Amino acid sequence: MFITFFYRLKEAGIPVSPTSFLRLQKALSAGLVASLNDFYTASRAILVKSERYFDLFDQVFAHHFEGAEMPLREGIDLDEAIQALLQEWLRDPQMLADVLGIDAAEIGKLSPEELIAYFKARLADQKGRHAGGSRWIGTGGTSPVGHSGYHPGGMRVGGVSRNKSAVKVALDRRYRDYSHQGPLTQAMVGEALKRLRNLVPTGPKDQVNVEATIYQAMKNGGEIEIVFDRSLRDRLKVILAIDNGGWSMDPYIPVVQTVFDYARAQFKDLKTYFFHNTIYDILWKDPARYRKPQRIDEFVRCDPETRLIVVGDASMAPYELTAAEGSIHIEERSGRPSFERLAFLAETFRHCAWLNPMDERYWDYSQTVKAIGRIFPMFTLSLDGLEKAITHLMQK
Amino acid sequence: MTADRPKFSGASRYVLDDELASIVNISMALEMPLLLKGEPGTGKTMLAHAIAENLGMPLIVLNVKSSMKLVEALYQYDTLTRLNDSRFGDSRRDVSDIEAYIKMGKIGQAFTAAERTVLLIDEIDKADTDFQDDMLDVLDQMEFDIIEIDKTVKTRHRPVIIITSNAKKDLSDPFLGRCNFHHIAFPEPKVMRQIIRVHFPDIDGDLMTGAVTAFYKLRELDSVEKKPATRELLNWIRALRADPDFHPREIEKGAVPYLGVLFKKSQDFARAVAATGRRSLR
Repeated sequence: MFITFFYRLKEAGIPVSPTSFLRLQKALSAGLVASLNDFYTASRAILVKSERYFDLFDQVFAHHFEGAEMPLREGIDLDEAIQALLQEWLRDPQMLADVLGIDAAEIGKLSPEELIAYFKARLADQKGRHAGGSRWIGTGGTSPVGHSGYHPGGMRVGGVSRNKSAVKVALDRRYRDYSHQGPLTQAMVGEALKRLRNLVPTGPKDQVNVEATIYQAMKNGGEIEIVFDRSLRDRLKVILAIDNGGWSMDPYIPVVQTVFDYARAQFKDLKTYFFHNTIYDILWKDPARYRKPQRIDEFVRCDPETRLIVVGDASMAPYELTAAEGSIHIEERSGRPSFERLAFLAETFRHCAWLNPMDERYWDYSQTVKAIGRIFPMFTLSLDGLEKAITHLMQK
Repeated sequence: MTADRPKFSGASRYVLDDELASIVNISMALEMPLLLKGEPGTGKTMLAHAIAENLGMPLIVLNVKSSMKLVEALYQYDTLTRLNDSRFGDSRRDVSDIEAYIKMGKIGQAFTAAERTVLLIDEIDKADTDFQDDMLDVLDQMEFDIIEIDKTVKTRHRPVIIITSNAKKDLSDPFLGRCNFHHIAFPEPKVMRQIIRVHFPDIDGDLMTGAVTAFYKLRELDSVEKKPATRELLNWIRALRADPDFHPREIEKGAVPYLGVLFKKSQDFARAVAATGRRSLR
């Protein structure tokens, strides 16, 4: 029973296992499911093992049992992008008209629904190559419209349902806030902190575990066997360099800073610096990048075991990275191209990582992301990415 | 199946939604552990208490700690007492009988109990993955071996197992494969009012409205590491009610007394003070 439903879930990307499907059959044959409502709760509790997939499950359920339209795969991002776009449109109709390539007067005639439909059609055309433009919806551009995964309002509260049909509940898509694998949000701060806890070096096994020693000695009938534990070495020094130029990075800066500030006690030393787009000769201690410069040449005096973590979208015009006078800030021009300076940093600190808030799918579309990815090991600024980055940073 | 299967239908101090109730009942019928995730303060732990109260079963709580070994949750072999007895011999225990020195851990107690119990395994995410997987093996087999005396402990009554996790990260696949899963969302203001009413049946309407509104505003503050949860809200209301000088109108005016009840970390507290000072919380 419900085999097509099972395969639809699988196709949608929910990791469902045959074992759990058999278990659902057991529940069905035991008479535990009397209505579609029961089937919704039962199948979700048994088949779906993470709230990340609840939203997708709701969509598939509504699609399968009610024929609701299955949204595009990137439907969630799209909806937010559209909202942002509409707001933008209200502010500046002329710009939007340019973007969509139609007349401003013509746009005025469209209803919001028509506009969204038109916009979706355009986006479908655009698929696969909308990462670098300056006006289009995308991740790398300078366009003000949404960036996948950023929730301006933070995590919303999921509802509790009463007296609603299962399909209606599924159509509500109450779990969309949980479905993001995407970049860090304020709601994930606590989780991110747990990842950072692994950023602790371990020393040799040279501390006696008294309890375990006694236990072992007793087990051996009094023959003493000393059990050693690993001792903790001194704490780490961390340098955090954040790209705070341009608002493509804005949503992430407070999150990243909160995370590392809270973890401060865990480090021996945490220094935060700022830069715009990429690093030349100078990093700045003040967020305004004006008063307190720090020449990166001086970093050679730092402990080479310091962990360097760069946070930035690594997206810029290629010349900013490669040209000798590439900086868009004249006072920063030094005659050395940025990629040389980045390579210098990567050599100075052999434990380094670049965290990129951009979705990994789009990295290949940006030349500069690829180029920097060859210098720094690059990870996404998500919980999973953070975990991988920490593992990388702790390698011997 | 039989009609006299016990059904869970809420408890006196627990506001239950239908969805969760049916998931609990399905898990009990399928005899599967139920894994509950969700923010702190959404009543994950309270659910196990409510089930125990409602079905009249004893509750056994295993609070998982990060350093915990599985064997501690199953049984403990009290070697020190045995050594002591063998040296001084002033107890009535038989030193040659190792079984007299085996004490059951929480899981062991649930397995050997004379009646069906509710076993709550709280905050499983604190332990490492080996612990989690090994534990699920034990819960799956419903038996474990005591190596010291070469004896197998089998369950007499399969306990109702509730497992809670605060982590947003998923547990391992084999673990998840053996559980049913539910995610409890943070209650909406409407549900929160019901919860408050369950705890304070005689609460003043103005106080309730003011407190709930201010509470949800405070939860929206940015960069707070530990958001106030249901428990904090209830304690806060208790504090407000205990203060004879307090009047609900103060909250409407934007004053938020006893912020320390809601925010427990000094950085969060400082942020909350700054926020409430800057703008009125209406």
